[in-house]
Amino acid sequence: MAQLEIHNLSFSYSERAEDTVSDISFSVDKGQFVAVCGATGSGKTTLLRCLKRELTPFGDLRGEILLDGMPVSQLSDKDAACLIGYVMQRPEEQIVTDKVWHELAFGLENIGADQQSIRRRVAEMASYFGIEQWFDKSTAELSGGQKQLLNLASVMIMNPEVLILDEPTAQLDPIAAADFLSTIKRLNRDFALTVIIAEHRLEDIVPDCDRMLLMDKGRLLYFDSPGTAVKDLHSCSELLDSMPSAVRLYNELTPNDGDIPCPLDIRSGHEYISRVFDSRITALSLPEHRHSEHPALQFSECWFRYAKNSPDVLCGLDLTVYSGELFFILGGNGSGKTTALNAAAGLNRCYSGTIRVFGKKLSEYKNGSLYSGCLSMLTQDVQTVFLRPTVREELEEIELIEGFPFDFSAIMDMHPYDLSGGQQQMLALAKVLSAKPRLLLLDEPTKGLDAQSKKRTAELLRFLRSEGMTIVVVTHDVEFAAECADRCALFFRGEIISVDTPHRFFSENSFYTTAVSRMTRGIYTGAASLSDAVELCRANGRRDRE
Amino acid sequence: MRGFGDYNPIAVFVSIMSCAGIAMFTLNPVMITLSLVGAVSLWFVRLGTHSMKSHLLYAAMLVVLPLLNMLMSHQGATPLLVINDNPITLESLVYGVLSAAMLVSVLYWFRSFSRIMTSDKILYLLGRISPRLALIVSMALRFIPHFGRQAKKIDNARRVMGLYREDNIVDSAKGKLSVFSILITWGLENGITTADSMTARGYGTAHRTSFSVFRFRRSDAVLTAATLLLLAGCVCGMAFGGGEYACYPVLSGIPWDVCSLIVYVCYGLMAMLPTIIEAEVKIRWHSLRSTI
Repeated sequence: MAQLEIHNLSFSYSERAEDTVSDISFSVDKGQFVAVCGATGSGKTTLLRCLKRELTPFGDLRGEILLDGMPVSQLSDKDAACLIGYVMQRPEEQIVTDKVWHELAFGLENIGADQQSIRRRVAEMASYFGIEQWFDKSTAELSGGQKQLLNLASVMIMNPEVLILDEPTAQLDPIAAADFLSTIKRLNRDFALTVIIAEHRLEDIVPDCDRMLLMDKGRLLYFDSPGTAVKDLHSCSELLDSMPSAVRLYNELTPNDGDIPCPLDIRSGHEYISRVFDSRITALSLPEHRHSEHPALQFSECWFRYAKNSPDVLCGLDLTVYSGELFFILGGNGSGKTTALNAAAGLNRCYSGTIRVFGKKLSEYKNGSLYSGCLSMLTQDVQTVFLRPTVREELEEIELIEGFPFDFSAIMDMHPYDLSGGQQQMLALAKVLSAKPRLLLLDEPTKGLDAQSKKRTAELLRFLRSEGMTIVVVTHDVEFAAECADRCALFFRGEIISVDTPHRFFSENSFYTTAVSRMTRGIYTGAASLSDAVELCRANGRRDRE
Repeated sequence: MRGFGDYNPIAVFVSIMSCAGIAMFTLNPVMITLSLVGAVSLWFVRLGTHSMKSHLLYAAMLVVLPLLNMLMSHQGATPLLVINDNPITLESLVYGVLSAAMLVSVLYWFRSFSRIMTSDKILYLLGRISPRLALIVSMALRFIPHFGRQAKKIDNARRVMGLYREDNIVDSAKGKLSVFSILITWGLENGITTADSMTARGYGTAHRTSFSVFRFRRSDAVLTAATLLLLAGCVCGMAFGGGEYACYPVLSGIPWDVCSLIVYVCYGLMAMLPTIIEAEVKIRWHSLRSTI
């Protein structure tokens, strides 16, 4: 018998409004891993929230949700809270208390468990999730990944039978995200825990999930095993963009004839290319990248630390970014990327070494002249940029640059905080650009964005470069870098280790590289982004079938 | 192997509060000396001799307060010398010394107390009284610094976007004001997520309990019982007139009757107990370590 059954579920926020979720039916067996995919605004979050009784938004809910044959609405308060666990997107805001151990115990305190059983469960959870080392810390000291793991652990402590996750890794860097997802998979495998997860980054999930639930405009498109569900996605390009590289490659290249199975991960993608396509031409001929002779941003021998006795974060950083370049800085967590960017923006002062912006030392820019028409930076958390109650007022404060490729008219009267991640990013960029900088610094511009918004951000960056702006981007997102960068640099332990054009950069890195580059390794060289791979495959043509 | 500071917060609370509490209601030189020795030695045994500068203030208090009292208060029957027709009396000098010593000893008790009682221990004590209050305090402890960090972030984000003109005071004041107003919105906005996360985990479904990592062990019970017994001894003895001492109009002399002796012994044990526990563990640890 199915554990969770949904019959004809529809939801609208008010009687008159259109259905946000319309007529969805599916059932999930115990221990299944279900990935929910769909573009922003396709009703994923609403659907997931409807499954968790306490979080169901106010509105008109029709249809039935059965947990083990029992309507969810008839469960006791305590059971409803315990049996279905829910983890949300933002790690910081879900934390309630100030200490890690208190946060773990919070749920059990709520249902009135006694000291002894709380103590045992807390200890169990802490050791299963590897929280013991930071058990006594206060929650503010944790990294984003640790926070999200804590959120997961403090939901798991209630012993849920179904775990629902709404884009849990959107705010995490790739390493932390992979860790988090592998923990989820482990829970699913070890305890036959039913998992329903919505994600933007499907690279790590699709190969492992049992069922994919594809949504478009509130409707259920497919509910099937991943191999079948993603086979034919030509019709909905928004959905396709968020799929793993192998799936996208397959959908780009294979006409809908259907006798070749769709590859889901790197390994099967590699197999697919080498079996189906020829490899006479191994590399694309690319024009050599030429940068101008004028440096826009120059670090020379920069040393920085946060406090007198703390370790150096920048260790003799040397870097030159030439004007008109779209320059990407990649690197692991805590390697000092963001610190370097903050130093360039004058927020961190290096104790030794100089930073020059357009040939002039930072210290020679007086009275904020650095920030007027010269340099602007957009920090990681775009929410920090908004100060007004509506988008309209935000835009009145500034002067929108000419040719800005996004139309705000539909969202004019919304509060900036109510916008989707992609819309917030666009509004924030519009604000930053109004200062008409010649040098733009961006910190993690694709964090938490769906594929569609990433595409739009990439377009905007290319447009700005064509207008002559120099752009320095710090990011973890290798796919994004491969797609738009002129040059990429690898940051490691406070300095730049290598600088190169994306094709050479990603084909010479074997680990820190894009999925496409790993997939085409040994077949083609220098394919960093999906379009490279598609072009190469097309140029080579299919092998004749023996 | 637990030092005094690692005992259950209830035991620590009872012990330190009793020591400081009794000290506050007496001027008896013997008891004040005991209190001062107990409090200062606890501090040194726990934290060692570093940051000696912080003790200067207290040493200065011991000197300055008696002098001030001598110059201000002219009560007492035994003039030592006369300045401008104002007698400087022995009694006011002794009173000043005793009250300064009392004040310093109480301050040291509380210094140790605040070092030992970290926020989670205070919460544990609150949780005994009201689980809900403890939760609110815990949330506040998380939220207030969180608020501050966000304000800093917003300020920085605005600065590097060129939204401040740094040479204009009115402008930057306006800017700061709008940062504050958005902070409120941001707080409410995030409050919704936090509230969701709370209800999702069953907040309000049952009578809340309060969990803590602190266990009440047998040694905690022993310490608490011992402290309470000694406290009872002190209070009873004092109720029967033990340890009474007055400075004015003439120094009454230190009483040594049976009642007073009971009070001295009880209070002395009580005040030295924390130091003894702390020192015993240190010494034991020292000898144990040499065998590792």
